[in-house]
Amino acid sequence: MTAQGNSAASAGQAVLPENLLTRSVDDAALLVKARGVTKAFGGLTAVNNVDFDIPRGSIVSLIGPNGAGKTTFFNMITGYYVATAGEITFDGQAIVTRKGNKIRSLKPHEVTALGIGRTFQNIRLFGTMSALDNVRVGLNVHLKSRWWDSVLRTPSMLREEQATIAESLALLELVDLKDRADTWARNLPYGDQRRLEIARALATRPKLLLLDEPTAGMNNSETREMTDFIRKLRSEIGLTVLLIEHDMRVVMGISDRVTVLDHGEVIAEGRPAEVRANPRVIEAYLGRGAAEAQAQG
Amino acid sequence: MTASTIGTGPGAWFRHIGSTVAGLGQAYRAGLRDRPKRTVALSVLVAVLLLYPYVAHTWLAAFSRNVFPLPLPDDTVETFMTIFAIMAIGLNIVAGFAGLLDLGYVAFYAIGAYVAAFLASPHWATLGLNFIFLGNVDQGTPGVHLPFWIVVPVAVIVVATFGALLGAPTLRLRGDYLAIVTLGFGEIVPLVFKNLSQVTLSVVLGPLKISMDRVDLTGGVQGINPIDSPFLPFLNIKFDARAGFLPVYLGIFLLLIAVLVARNLEHSRIGRAWMAIREDETAAEMMGVNTVRTKLLAFALGASFAGIAGAYQASYLGATTSDFFDFSTSILVLIMIILGGIGNIWGVIMGAITLVFVNSTLLPYIGQQVQNYAPSLPNPAQYNFLILGVTLLLMMRFRPQGFLPSRQREAELTAHGLAHVEAEMGVPLDMDNTSVAPPGQSETGMDARAPETPDEARDL
Repeated sequence: MTAQGNSAASAGQAVLPENLLTRSVDDAALLVKARGVTKAFGGLTAVNNVDFDIPRGSIVSLIGPNGAGKTTFFNMITGYYVATAGEITFDGQAIVTRKGNKIRSLKPHEVTALGIGRTFQNIRLFGTMSALDNVRVGLNVHLKSRWWDSVLRTPSMLREEQATIAESLALLELVDLKDRADTWARNLPYGDQRRLEIARALATRPKLLLLDEPTAGMNNSETREMTDFIRKLRSEIGLTVLLIEHDMRVVMGISDRVTVLDHGEVIAEGRPAEVRANPRVIEAYLGRGAAEAQAQG
Repeated sequence: MTASTIGTGPGAWFRHIGSTVAGLGQAYRAGLRDRPKRTVALSVLVAVLLLYPYVAHTWLAAFSRNVFPLPLPDDTVETFMTIFAIMAIGLNIVAGFAGLLDLGYVAFYAIGAYVAAFLASPHWATLGLNFIFLGNVDQGTPGVHLPFWIVVPVAVIVVATFGALLGAPTLRLRGDYLAIVTLGFGEIVPLVFKNLSQVTLSVVLGPLKISMDRVDLTGGVQGINPIDSPFLPFLNIKFDARAGFLPVYLGIFLLLIAVLVARNLEHSRIGRAWMAIREDETAAEMMGVNTVRTKLLAFALGASFAGIAGAYQASYLGATTSDFFDFSTSILVLIMIILGGIGNIWGVIMGAITLVFVNSTLLPYIGQQVQNYAPSLPNPAQYNFLILGVTLLLMMRFRPQGFLPSRQREAELTAHGLAHVEAEMGVPLDMDNTSVAPPGQSETGMDARAPETPDEARDL
C-alpha cells in the first residue's frame, strides 16, 4: 500500500489528512473499488456518495453506529440492492455500472460466481438441511452438471458430486465441523452455526469474504477463536476480508484498515489507531461531549 | 479410490447402472443383516402392494361380492391410486422441495389429459385432420392416432412448458401471493378447455392466415372421447377399463419412473438448490443459486409429472372432460402430500394411496353399510370433504409433519453417518477416517439457536 495524495475527496465527505493510504493505489492492487456509491430508499439516503477500496489480501473493517449504512453497502457489493448511483468494480469486473441514465447491477448469484462470499448478521443457514448439504449449496455455482445429468446419473455428474462432497468435507474440517456433517444446521449450537456459515461462504470459492458481524453474540474466548480464524483465512487461503463489526477489540485487533460510516457517509478512514483517535469517530459513537472530553483529556 | 470407480466414455454410464443394480442385491443382504426387522417388514409391504391388484381382482373381489362385503379398492381405484401418486410426487417437487405453494396443480393434470385427447382420438376428424402413426387403430380410422408411448413424452414436454409459463410471472411472488396466482391458473385452464368449443377467429400473421368459423377445439362440455387406450404391442394388451388389473401395473410402472426421476433430482445439485430456496430464498441467492432458473425448473419439472398422470388418466378412461379438473382436485393432491409427509417421496405416495382409498372406497363402503342398516343416518360418502378437512385439522394438531415425514429420514441419516451419501450416490466416497456423529445426536442436540428475527430484507 503506497501512500499518495487523495483525489477523491468528494463533497460532503471529510477526508483526514493522515488518510493517505489506499485511495490511489494502482488499480491492480485493489480487489474492490467503489466510487460515489449511493443508495436511497425513497427519501432516506442510507448510503451517500461513498468511495471505498479494498486492497488485495487485506482485512478491511467497516464500522459505524447502528443504521449507518454498513449492511446496505454490503448488499450493494453483493448485488442484493441495486445502487441508486455510483460504480463498483470487483477484480476488474463491473458489479455496478452506469449505462446511460440507468444503473446496472449484477444479480447476487452472478456476484457470487465472480468470487464474493458472505455471511449474514442474523445467521441464515438452511435450517433443515445437513451441515454438509449447506456447504454443498455454496459449491453449486461452480458445478456444471444439468438437471438431465441428475436424472440420468451420468458419470460426469457423479464424479462432480464426489468432488463436491470431498471439497465440502474439507471445508467442514477447516471450520472444525466435520463430525457434525450430518446434523441439521438448525440443531447446531450457535458458535457452530456461525462457523458453518463461513464454511458455506468459503464453498463459493471467494476471493473476497464479507463477514457481517461474525462475533456477534460470542463470549471472549469464542471471539478470540474467531479472530484467529479470520487471520488464518487470510494467511493460509489468501482471502481478502471485509468485516462489519461492532466489537472494537476485534476491529482494532485484526484490521489493516478501518472505514467509519455515519449516516451513510464516510467520516473517517485509515489505520485502526488513527481511526480510534479521530474526534469525529468518537463523536459518532459516544456523542459530542465524549469527543470534547477526549480532546481535553 | 474415487476416480477409478466412475469411468469415462459412453460405456461408463451402463457400467455404473449395472453395478448399481448389482449393488442392490448386496444392499438388500446388508439390510437383512443390519436391520432385519425393518428390511423384512418393508419387503413384505412391497410384496403385498405389488401382488394386491392381482389377488384382489382374482379372488378377493369375488369374496367381497359373494361372501362378505369388504372395503376393497377395485381395479379402477387402484389405477387412480397410481395416477394420484404420480401427481403427488410432482407437486411434492414444487411445494415440498422448493417450497412454492401451488394451488392450481390440477391445470397441468388437465393439460396432460387434453394432450392425450388431441393426439389419440377421432377429435380432429371434424377438421379433416386424419393421421395415424403406429396407433392401435384400423387403417382409415378418422382423427389423429398416436401410440400412448409417444403421447406421454409429448404430454410431459407440453405440460413442462406450461409449467414454466406459469412459473415465469410468479417468480417475484412469495407465499400467499404465489398461491393466489397459481389458484387462478388452476381455475382458468379447465374453463378454457370447457369453452373453446366454438372458436371463431381470423388472424393474419405475415404470410400465415388463420381463420376459424365456430371450430370445436376442445369438445366443450362433453369433452373428447373416445381416446385410444394405452396399447402394448407384441403382447397385445389394451390397458383400458376392461383390462382388469393390468392398467394398475402400467400405473405402477409409470409411478416407478416418476419415483426414480424425483429421487435423482432430489439428491443432486438441483434438489439441494430447491431446498435451499425453500429454507431461505435470499440466502440461497447470495450463495450463488440462480433462483429464477431454479424456481422455473421446479415449476416445469414438477408440472411434467402431472402431464404423465393426465395423459394416463385420459387414455385409461378413454375420455376426458373439463369437469374432472376442478379446484378440489388441486386441494386433494395438496392434502395428499401434507398428510403423507411433505418433502418425502415415500410419504406422499402413501398419502395419495390413503386418500384415494378413503375417498373412493372406504367412504362409499361405509355409506353403503349405513344405507343398508340405518338409512335414516346421513351418508358419510357425501361428506368426504368435511371428513378430509377434519382429518387435516387433526393432523395439523397432532402430527403436522405427516405420516412419513422427511425428518425421519434425517434421523436415520444421523444414526448411520455418511453412509447415506454413498447410498444416494451409488458410489463409494473418498473419505479417510470420517468421524460419524453418534446416533440420535441431531435429535437431542442442543438447540442453542439465536432467537428468530423477522425476515426483514433491510436487516440482512
